[in-house]
Amino acid sequence: MDLAYTPEQQAFRAEVREWMAANVPVGALVTLEREDGYRQHVAWERRLASGNWGMVTWPEAYGGRGLDLIQWLIFEEEYWRAGAPNRANQNGIFLLGPTIMEFGTDEQKARFLTPMAKGEVIWAQAWSEPGAGSDMAAIASRAVRDGDHYVLTGQKTWSSRAAYADWGFGLFRTEEGSKRHKGLSFLLFDLNAPGITRRPIRQLHGDTGFAELFFDEVRVPVANRISGEGEGWNVAMATAGFERGLMLRSPARFQATAARLVELCRAQGSRVSPGAREAVSAAWKGAQAYAYNTYMVASRIIAGGHIGAEASLNKIFWSELDRAMHRTAMQILGAAAELRHFADGEVNAWLEGYIFSLSGPIYAGSNEIQRNIIAERLLGLPRQGAG
Amino acid sequence: MDFRLTEDQRALVDGVREFLSGTHGAEVLRALDGEPTRRSSAIAASLVEMGLPGLMVPADQGGLGLGTVEAVLIAIEAGRAGLSEPLIDGAFVAAPLLTNAGGQDALLAAIASGEARVALQHPANPWVADLDGATHVLSARAGGLLIGTAAAQHPADSVDPLRRLSKPVTVAGTPVAGSSDDLLNRAALMAAAQALGAADAMLALSVDYAGTRQQFGEPIGAFQAVKHHLASATVAIEFARPVLLRAACAVEHGEAHASVHVSHAKLAACDAAVAMAETAIQVHGAMGYTYEVDLHFWMKRAWAMAGAWGDRAFHLSRIDAAVIGGAIPVGPAETFA
Ligand SMILES: Cc1cc2nc3c(=O)[nH]c(=O)nc-3n(C[C@H](O)[C@H](O)[C@H](O)COP(=O)(O)OP(=O)(O)OC[C@H]3O[C@@H](n4cnc5c(N)ncnc54)[C@H](O)[C@@H]3O)c2cc1C
Repeated sequence: MDLAYTPEQQAFRAEVREWMAANVPVGALVTLEREDGYRQHVAWERRLASGNWGMVTWPEAYGGRGLDLIQWLIFEEEYWRAGAPNRANQNGIFLLGPTIMEFGTDEQKARFLTPMAKGEVIWAQAWSEPGAGSDMAAIASRAVRDGDHYVLTGQKTWSSRAAYADWGFGLFRTEEGSKRHKGLSFLLFDLNAPGITRRPIRQLHGDTGFAELFFDEVRVPVANRISGEGEGWNVAMATAGFERGLMLRSPARFQATAARLVELCRAQGSRVSPGAREAVSAAWKGAQAYAYNTYMVASRIIAGGHIGAEASLNKIFWSELDRAMHRTAMQILGAAAELRHFADGEVNAWLEGYIFSLSGPIYAGSNEIQRNIIAERLLGLPRQGAG
Repeated sequence: MDFRLTEDQRALVDGVREFLSGTHGAEVLRALDGEPTRRSSAIAASLVEMGLPGLMVPADQGGLGLGTVEAVLIAIEAGRAGLSEPLIDGAFVAAPLLTNAGGQDALLAAIASGEARVALQHPANPWVADLDGATHVLSARAGGLLIGTAAAQHPADSVDPLRRLSKPVTVAGTPVAGSSDDLLNRAALMAAAQALGAADAMLALSVDYAGTRQQFGEPIGAFQAVKHHLASATVAIEFARPVLLRAACAVEHGEAHASVHVSHAKLAACDAAVAMAETAIQVHGAMGYTYEVDLHFWMKRAWAMAGAWGDRAFHLSRIDAAVIGGAIPVGPAETFA
């Protein structure tokens, strides 16, 4: 165990810090959940890519820098320290990217990865269906083979950013009459393809952060299938693992929230109740614990280890931490927490953040589902009805 | 930067765990509970044979010369085993302090050989643990440290049947270099480690029990309500572990904010252990409320560790002062501040 950074790691930190200081937009962008904000965020993705910071852990051949996970953590710390915007392309870089690297053909890697790292193509994830949320194996959308194409029919829902994004990935039933997780294929599709209708869905905060997708005989080349026909479930499980695991929720963003909360608490001084002060300390403790844990997992992965069902521990921890931190801010703000805007143009980021934090325990597999996974796969408890 | 245990550390943990699970199982705890002294010279001798009292004693004085991380790892194992013998305070708290103080070679050699047993006294604790049977007391006085002797007086009963407590005593002895805060931090770190080990043990007992106890024609562990209790407890335990190891590094290297990290570890581990105890008894049902199952030994150790060496209020106030008060930098690039 050696918790000191090497001189190379320190030099890397300095390099990132310098670039961020010179490039991070001054002032907050409009929310990613609105079209104008989305465009601003995509512009930021491209700026990041211009500095080769789009996805630092990817191989250089695909627009990355080939860095290890400790360097990635350092990058993320500097990213969030600098107050850089949310990543518009997180579905692509953190979920689909690693999936293509593991399961894609060379041709698919060449075709999809570089534009992803460069922020040229923004991806949406389309798994959920009205009748298949937690129970993802209940997917009903179909893809029927027609020569070297699939013809897609059906409906996907709650697809983040699908209102504006360029491409989507999702599971479709390619075997007529197949049940549950059998007969599903993992397909990539152009969201502008003929036959796709997008219906933006208004979220709790009022903006249209996700959308419903309707597929009416949409033609998708067979070359857009990741892994074999009918193999989609295994691929999707790997993607879900990436979503819960290390990459998507880097600790730095929670440390940044904790730091803002500490500042809020200081600014409010003696108005803050002892209970809320304790919750502020708990925010720091939780964000630090999450960071240590991530460094520990990263160290193990660099040494050849793998992260499996433990990713479910992370998912629960970060989502409940995030919700608790924002709830605490709402309590400290008291009556002011109700305001959508504090002042001219200044959005109440705590309120926005609180609303968003409520979705953390739902998306990426609800925390109830994660607890089932922990109990059955980590602790080895029996499945109900199995005996 | 490499936040992993080394091969040597893993081998040490495996060896000690195997040894303790073989010689210090639940039936031993039950037998000791029936002894007036609660102690066993055979177990004490076997610990010496393993080299554990000398773990942190420098090699020149017959010890293994290992560090705080190794000591924390062993303290976790002691908690997992519900260890009865007073190993931790003398070997993992007093020994490194006496080593740093200098001029205590003979005593250190005696600690390593098991001849000397050092009890600890500090204002953070209203009770002194294992004063009976101790040959020495390392006591905090006016911010500094004093090594000497004292007779145990006024025994006080602990909820933990294997813990031996006395009221504080006047120590006759000589000052040694070192700070009483350092004593407190090292002892609190070891209490946190023992609590985490106890939590591990309670989780394992509960998972076992949930897999065998049948109700409604199924093992109770198949029911989601039970599963979710155990999953939540697992999250708390697994996120306390790196905090504990991070604090061990901070203490080992005398980092500027070591005391904040110790308080964090104490709270994370003890909160997880206390929650685990409540979960464990819920999972065990009425059986958990009895002496018929072994669970209670670990529950009680967890409660004892939660209150010892700075209670929740004490450690919370240290975190509050440092984090909200501004002594420690907070934020994304300050992970290892
Ligand atoms: C902000 C946000 C963004 C999202 N983005 C995307 C996206 O980009 N792409 C995408 O495909 N989907 C997305 N989703 C959808 C998300 O993945 C689903 O909402 C989630 O999987 C839960 O499904 P559901 O909403 O149908 O809830 P349901 O499955 O109906 O669950 C409702 C409640 O029942 C519980 N429950 C269900 N089954 C069980 C069980 N077996 N045991 C115990 N409890 C159970 C759930 O935990 C939950 O509490 C997003 C959702 C949100 C809120």
